[in-house]
Amino acid sequence: MASLELTSIAKKYGAVEVMRGLDLKVADGAFCALLGPSGCGKSTLLRMIAGLETVTAGSIHIDSTDVTHKEPSKRGVAMVFQNYALYPHLTVRQNIAFSLSLAGAPKAVQTEKADVVARMLQLEPLMDRRPAELSGGQRQRVAIGRALVRDPKVFLFDEPLSNLDALLRVQMRLELAKLHQDLKTTMVYVTHDQVEAMTLADQIVVLDKGVVQQVGSPLDLYNAPANRFVAGFIGSPAMNFLAVSADGSDLVLPGGGRIAGAAQGQVVEVGIRPEHVRIVADGAGVIRGKTRVVEQLGNTSFVYVDIASGTFVVEVAPDATPSPGQSVDLALDLSRIHKFLADGARLAN
Amino acid sequence: MSVTTTPRRRLDAGAILLTTLTVLCALLWFFPIYWAIITSLRFDQDTVTDFALFPKRPTLSAYIFTIENSNLLRWYLNSTITSVIITVITVAVAACTGYAISQLTFPGRKLLWWTILACFMVPVSALIVNHFIIIAQIRLLNSYAGIILPMLLHPVTVIVYKQFFDGLPREFREAAVMDGATEFQLLFRIFLPMNWGVTTALAIITFIGAWNAFLWPFLAAQDETMMTVTVGISAVQDAFGVAYGRVLSGAVLAGLPVALAYLLFQRRVTQAITLSAGIKG
Repeated sequence: MASLELTSIAKKYGAVEVMRGLDLKVADGAFCALLGPSGCGKSTLLRMIAGLETVTAGSIHIDSTDVTHKEPSKRGVAMVFQNYALYPHLTVRQNIAFSLSLAGAPKAVQTEKADVVARMLQLEPLMDRRPAELSGGQRQRVAIGRALVRDPKVFLFDEPLSNLDALLRVQMRLELAKLHQDLKTTMVYVTHDQVEAMTLADQIVVLDKGVVQQVGSPLDLYNAPANRFVAGFIGSPAMNFLAVSADGSDLVLPGGGRIAGAAQGQVVEVGIRPEHVRIVADGAGVIRGKTRVVEQLGNTSFVYVDIASGTFVVEVAPDATPSPGQSVDLALDLSRIHKFLADGARLAN
Repeated sequence: MSVTTTPRRRLDAGAILLTTLTVLCALLWFFPIYWAIITSLRFDQDTVTDFALFPKRPTLSAYIFTIENSNLLRWYLNSTITSVIITVITVAVAACTGYAISQLTFPGRKLLWWTILACFMVPVSALIVNHFIIIAQIRLLNSYAGIILPMLLHPVTVIVYKQFFDGLPREFREAAVMDGATEFQLLFRIFLPMNWGVTTALAIITFIGAWNAFLWPFLAAQDETMMTVTVGISAVQDAFGVAYGRVLSGAVLAGLPVALAYLLFQRRVTQAITLSAGIKG
């Protein structure tokens, strides 16, 4: 177990600067998810922690040891790759024990450690198989086993579930959560899937264009996003946004609806999550629209409503779902409205 | 109980024509080889009188004569020694070079790559006089080293390896680096074992090329005891005069190991040809 500290990390590829002055602290034993859209720099950051990419400027400390310029194998980190990177010519046992074999550990030690890991990950019946004879989930477990056997201070995961089907992904997510609870090792997990980040991590780092947008717990990010980017990125379906203008102390919505007394500073946009919008009786709402599509998920439903400025998503109970094409009035839970300035920053309520 | 019927395969006139044409071409290609084999199984006086598709009086006398009156066994040994050494060194050096150019970053990497490509574009026969002068000057004519050294130039093998290593996902390398592998461990414990097929195929095709080589061994080995099979057989032809059976028995014996190697490793040889075909364009 170890803490991880990144200080003023910068990364340049030639003249192109992909990261600048990034600071991050991951507490000992924390599960930290690096979340962001494709190309935001999350994998680059993980690879810099691993030592697979050089750092242009800044420093990386693991348990107060500066590892910025250390060899990857000397940093005390182990990485699970997106495509598992299992050596196809080696058996599961040989794959797991490979790092020990390279280090010149005696055969007996290799077997013993590989067996311990195999027991932990329920890989015992598969030890003599080759990767081609394993399912996606089993390969994933072997990849984790290969990292585990090195007894690292920090685990690094690079989108490890993205190659699995939806059902297996949920199972593996659960197994990763259990593994973290059992090992209590510091884990850094890269994903673009916010559900993975929200369910697994106790600290989420949202990145965009190489800049940290917000660091916090999943609920912090969901309930109090720092800016419009985080507000729009966290949550599925995404938050609804409405361009607004101030009229005295009121905010005027597209279509003419007003939110009395809500004007504050230079607010140009408000956001509200689908579960905080209600379909109400005609004339009782602030936005009027026509339902376009209804998604029935069983436990809940999402209604996509065409309004004057675009599409608005509303979460409704499955037994209160309007039909497509129906005109509806929408009311907003004013206590749950997020207000954004022109630069995207969110105003505290 | 359900009854299933297998649909009768439809006779396709085009397919029949194509098959017939292919068989005819194969026969046309194979006939000279067949004729050489059956001629070598005839008595010398029959070779100009017996034109049947199978000898009326089959005999191994031509083979016995060739073996007894030439250094064939010594030539076999020479061919085996030179071909094996050429194969081992060529494949080992090509694997290391291909790996370095594909996976490592070092000053002059691109220059090395372009040099190898340039070497590939120069025909060996254009260099043969230079090779001869150099090998003569360092007094290596009539030695294994003299035969072997110029035949180690195999840019195609390097190119095939580089392409193969380029095609491997970078995660394999990164995972091994994180496990603490050195470059040699990466090459010999991960990259090469990951697909021995490439190495096997290249080794077989290099071996066959070395065994069949004629021009350079002919120049480098002037002493009969240092000749390879292909060179020795041409000497037999001169020594035996117009004795078709004996000459062809020598040719069959010279080609036999390669034919056997091909029969044993058919799939690998085809793979090697396919691998290098894209490069030879």
